[in-house]
Amino acid sequence: METKQGTVAVTLTVNGEKRVGVAEPRMLLSDFLRHGLGMTGTHVGCEQGVCGACTVLIDGQPGRSCLAFAVQVEGATVDTVEGMAEPGELSDVQQAFRAEHGLQCGFCTPGFLASTQALLEQNPDPTDDEIREYLSGNVCRCTGYQGIIAAVRRVATERKAASHDA
Amino acid sequence: MKPPTFDYVRPASVAEAIDALAAHPDSKVLAGGQSLIPMMNMRLARPTALVDIGRLDELAGIEANGSLRVGATARQSTVLENEQVGRRWPLITAALVHVGHPATRARGTFGGSIAHGEPASELPAVMLACDARFLLRGGSGEREVAADDFFVGHYTTVLADDELLVQVEVPDPAGSAWGFGEIVRRHGDYALAGAAVRLAVDGDGTVEEARVALFGVSGRPIRATAAEEHLLGTRLGDERAAAEAGRAALSGTEVTDDSFVSATYRHDAAAAVVERALLEAALRRRGTN
Amino acid sequence: MTLESTATDPAATSAASSATTPQQPRPARYVGRPVQRVEDPRLLSGQGRYIDDVALPGMLHAAFVRSPHAHARIVGIDATEALAVEGVVAVYTGKDLDWLAPMVSAGPMREGVLAQSRSPLAVEVARHVGDPVAVVLARSPYLAEDGRDLVDVEWEPLTPVLDPFAALHPDSPLVDEALGTNNISHLEQSAGDVDTAFAEADHVTRIRFHSGRSTAAPIECRGVVAEYEDRAGGRFNVYSSTQMPHLLRMLIAPVLGVSQGQLSVKAPDVGGAFGLKCTVFPEDIVVPAVARMSGRPVKWIEDRWEDLAAGVHSKDMHCSMEIAATADGTMTAFRGHFVTDSGAYSSIPFTPLVDSQVAGVYLSSCYGVQNVAYSIDNPLTNKCQIGAVRGVGWVPGQLAREVAIDQLARSLGKDPVELRLQNMIGPEVYTTPFGQTYDGGSYAAALEKARDAVDYPAFRQRQAQARADGRYLGVGFSPFVEPTGWGTASAAAGGLPNGFFDTASVTVEPDGSVTVTTGLHSHGQGHETTLAQVTADELGVAMDSVRIVFGDTDSSVFGMGTYASRSAVLGFGSIQESAVQVRDRLVRLAAAMLEADDADIELVDGVAAVKGVPGKTVPLQQIALFGYFGGPARPEDVQRDGLTATSGYNPGETYANGCAAAVVEVDVRTGLVSIEQLAAVEDCGVVLNPIIVKGQVAGALANGIGVALLEDLAYEDNGEFVSGSLMHYLYPSTTEVPDLTLHSIETPSAVSVGGVKGVGEAGTISAPAAIVNAVMDALSPFGIVIEKTPMTPEYIRGLVRAAEAAATGPARS
Repeated sequence: METKQGTVAVTLTVNGEKRVGVAEPRMLLSDFLRHGLGMTGTHVGCEQGVCGACTVLIDGQPGRSCLAFAVQVEGATVDTVEGMAEPGELSDVQQAFRAEHGLQCGFCTPGFLASTQALLEQNPDPTDDEIREYLSGNVCRCTGYQGIIAAVRRVATERKAASHDA
Repeated sequence: MKPPTFDYVRPASVAEAIDALAAHPDSKVLAGGQSLIPMMNMRLARPTALVDIGRLDELAGIEANGSLRVGATARQSTVLENEQVGRRWPLITAALVHVGHPATRARGTFGGSIAHGEPASELPAVMLACDARFLLRGGSGEREVAADDFFVGHYTTVLADDELLVQVEVPDPAGSAWGFGEIVRRHGDYALAGAAVRLAVDGDGTVEEARVALFGVSGRPIRATAAEEHLLGTRLGDERAAAEAGRAALSGTEVTDDSFVSATYRHDAAAAVVERALLEAALRRRGTN
Repeated sequence: MTLESTATDPAATSAASSATTPQQPRPARYVGRPVQRVEDPRLLSGQGRYIDDVALPGMLHAAFVRSPHAHARIVGIDATEALAVEGVVAVYTGKDLDWLAPMVSAGPMREGVLAQSRSPLAVEVARHVGDPVAVVLARSPYLAEDGRDLVDVEWEPLTPVLDPFAALHPDSPLVDEALGTNNISHLEQSAGDVDTAFAEADHVTRIRFHSGRSTAAPIECRGVVAEYEDRAGGRFNVYSSTQMPHLLRMLIAPVLGVSQGQLSVKAPDVGGAFGLKCTVFPEDIVVPAVARMSGRPVKWIEDRWEDLAAGVHSKDMHCSMEIAATADGTMTAFRGHFVTDSGAYSSIPFTPLVDSQVAGVYLSSCYGVQNVAYSIDNPLTNKCQIGAVRGVGWVPGQLAREVAIDQLARSLGKDPVELRLQNMIGPEVYTTPFGQTYDGGSYAAALEKARDAVDYPAFRQRQAQARADGRYLGVGFSPFVEPTGWGTASAAAGGLPNGFFDTASVTVEPDGSVTVTTGLHSHGQGHETTLAQVTADELGVAMDSVRIVFGDTDSSVFGMGTYASRSAVLGFGSIQESAVQVRDRLVRLAAAMLEADDADIELVDGVAAVKGVPGKTVPLQQIALFGYFGGPARPEDVQRDGLTATSGYNPGETYANGCAAAVVEVDVRTGLVSIEQLAAVEDCGVVLNPIIVKGQVAGALANGIGVALLEDLAYEDNGEFVSGSLMHYLYPSTTEVPDLTLHSIETPSAVSVGGVKGVGEAGTISAPAAIVNAVMDALSPFGIVIEKTPMTPEYIRGLVRAAEAAATGPARS
């Protein structure tokens, strides 16, 4: 049994890179990423577990980083918006969000990108209803969701076309 | 919106977890944390220690031999995606779609949603409808509690301070009809009223056993016993019987009346949701037969 | 989402085209095209820099101690236990901040509104749940909250004032004793002969409507980070998630006791604002003040409870609306009374009149009604302050008028679309009874297009069929006119006579790249894109050579910021005015270099060419370098001024228009409303970028769905606030916003540069009334009258239940 008090070291693999930081047990994963590791691409919108802005991939699954303690996920693989594409490039999901105007202020966007990535991993060809159901835990106050849903649809279509071509 | 300080304990076994719970008064079990952590962020919960059982693999299994056995820390998403569960316990799968959102289901545990005792959440009522049994283990040993006897009130269950919910057992519902419905203002929200129904019917379609469970209407998930009695001996899909069962659903129940939703509304909503779940159960059965 | 657009022939819009336009734009190359956004790659890759991403060396974190009571006297504050927490550095109360000047609401800027003074931290009395009374500084936000929980405030609860009508009673307890009344403004305005029109009317429709209390709740909460340089008289750097850096500086510097030159405001990327972030908040003062007092930089990031309880609320307006009409359906008079439940403080700078006043003053909207009167009251109550949020008072005003018009149609047995068309103004320039001059619009055409978008005749058949099956479908319409491009002229016409001043500065750098600075701010609107489109067209350069700089009072020219759908108009105008001057210098330089006449020089894509002489060209880089360092061969003004020009722009009145139409289904058993279709027709004049306009309309419509159905900030009867989390304050999510039907019409403005009108708020203004009308249409078999938003399931079910009970007589028991 391990008991942690005071400040402890936490190791995570973030975007493929091993990262070590210190945290009190109560430090939320969102704060650990943002302020412990300086990865401010993940945003915090409510800390009540509702808005989804802080969504990241934890061991490949979507998770709200405001609803996890850093110590709780110690050793996990965490993927954030910073690691979605090579520097200077945009992933197909990011490009689709741009093409379809799926973002305005950009604050909720990293969470939507993470959820979209997870959705398409699970269900490469979702219907509009499935897209809406899956993304209903991410809130956007700017776009009215039209561009976001169109972006997800676009990635699915493009990937399908690419796999047919291959 | 930052949680208060606590000691973090990560036991290596269920036995260690129970010891830790006993050793830390005012401690809480941390499984997925999807309900507990928001309460801590808002400082509505201030446990002095958290006992993290999230990594205990011995609690994460799903077995479907005859009855369904789900370990308490199996993730909601894992259960939702389980093909056996979907085929043989479709009521559970149907309900899980409404539990939070993909990001909370991926971390939230099956057992956590039950042990949390939130009266408006789906799984506790589904457990009532399914006649589930819960295996609890604590300092004084192991015991089994029927879902009917488990829920006490708002966020309270029969779990003792040093006791863990370790496994949920759901009998094989073979042949029974089922329905599920809830009134929510947005997908994924807690229900204003919701119903899970399971009906055993004979070859002629006569209801032999009815379990009608409600959530979001009272201080704990409840069985609508008056509705169940109404249904016995009626034919599955009988519209009048369904309507009467709906109307009877909350009789004798102390219905929640709060700033957001009145008891009167919950009465109306429960009647509608029960009636519709019953008719949906009949429709589905016709569809599959 | 379906999208279709129609451009009207400017020449066909009668007077709209004959009015003078200050500067005709160059042939458009980028303007009007769906150019992808410049800011997106940064924001999509996690490289946006928002307020919580700002970190200064040695920074402390602030947490505010706030009132749990609606109204209470502060007997004492004991910080001993808080200060004992390891890591808590300081606790300051209102008394410690007595060196600050008071914050004063904008009353002095106009007559008829009482000015209210407040201290940023309440000293004697807390006036609403969430009112800040002390601030804790600590080494981390976690520790600051630990300290906050241990500050012991002794409260003496006072009777709260919660009902706005009771607050208007002379015997009511006072929210602010110093004012001597709760009503900070009672105003009346009348045009034509309203009393006679009502006396002679064949028909009078009267309704009451309560537009509920909602807010912006941007996904990014507010935040302030401040540092104080204690030398040479002292100076503040204030990082703030504001929509209006210069205006914020102008308004907080005097409270902090420094000149505007001693204070810089830096607004980084802002994660949504919707009007809320153009308010001056107590934290904007307290954080820099305690940075000075503690000698350390201080950061405060608002949490979601604070955002919901203690930011800005909006639209809590009790309306009564009357329409006088003749038997044939001609509307002859409108009369409205608008009471804003104003909260405890008159918000700075716009005051709660940003809701009540604008509901009244634009009452005639797109209808040719000549007799119009309104009155407004603004009682203070022990609730959160009312301030500007997307759509402001246009939303309740639109609800009151459009719901009343549907009611009139039902009373007269007339079709609601036909009744509206019968009373609508023409497309030409039009002056309203209250003296606003519309710059031409597609008022009737927008309604007709919305009607077609929902396939109206077919819908009526479908509706009848559904009713026979026990299903309740309804349709509702909501045409609107919206003042945009908010400047001195439109503000005066809108009854909010504040001066405005906006500038842009355009510089061609020595290598030919272009830098534009503006006092506008972008927080989702995409100015880095649209303003670059405008600049590139005006200068004849490639868009990717243009950079738009804003947000920092140290590096941007003065402007009033971004709100009230003003920036497309202001940005286009101020940039064009400046760019024209720079372009003129570039042309003369090029002419000198190419030994040609000025008139023969064309600037396209960063290259100057001589008309009709192929191959005779010079690239902008060479022109710019020549301009900066080319010696005496250059024109004299270029030698002196280089390639920078700064110009102001203060537009005339410009008004967008359009129409929303909603098709809904109501579940009468549960009161749930589902939106089957929401269509919007938008006419915002010349469109700078159709993707961005579409996005603005869609986002505003979603917000309108929230206003109509979901969003509600609720207080208990004792003043307790019960909507402090996003579990209770409900945003529309992907499952509540349908696939939207978006259409556009382009009627170029007769007055603005480029013919542009603004666009940010239309959907929020129009959608709620369309949805309410649709629900009432669906429930017309029950004869139900809806009198408030949001239309919760409980509210709708309650109305149906009452109607059913009335129909079946008293219940047998």
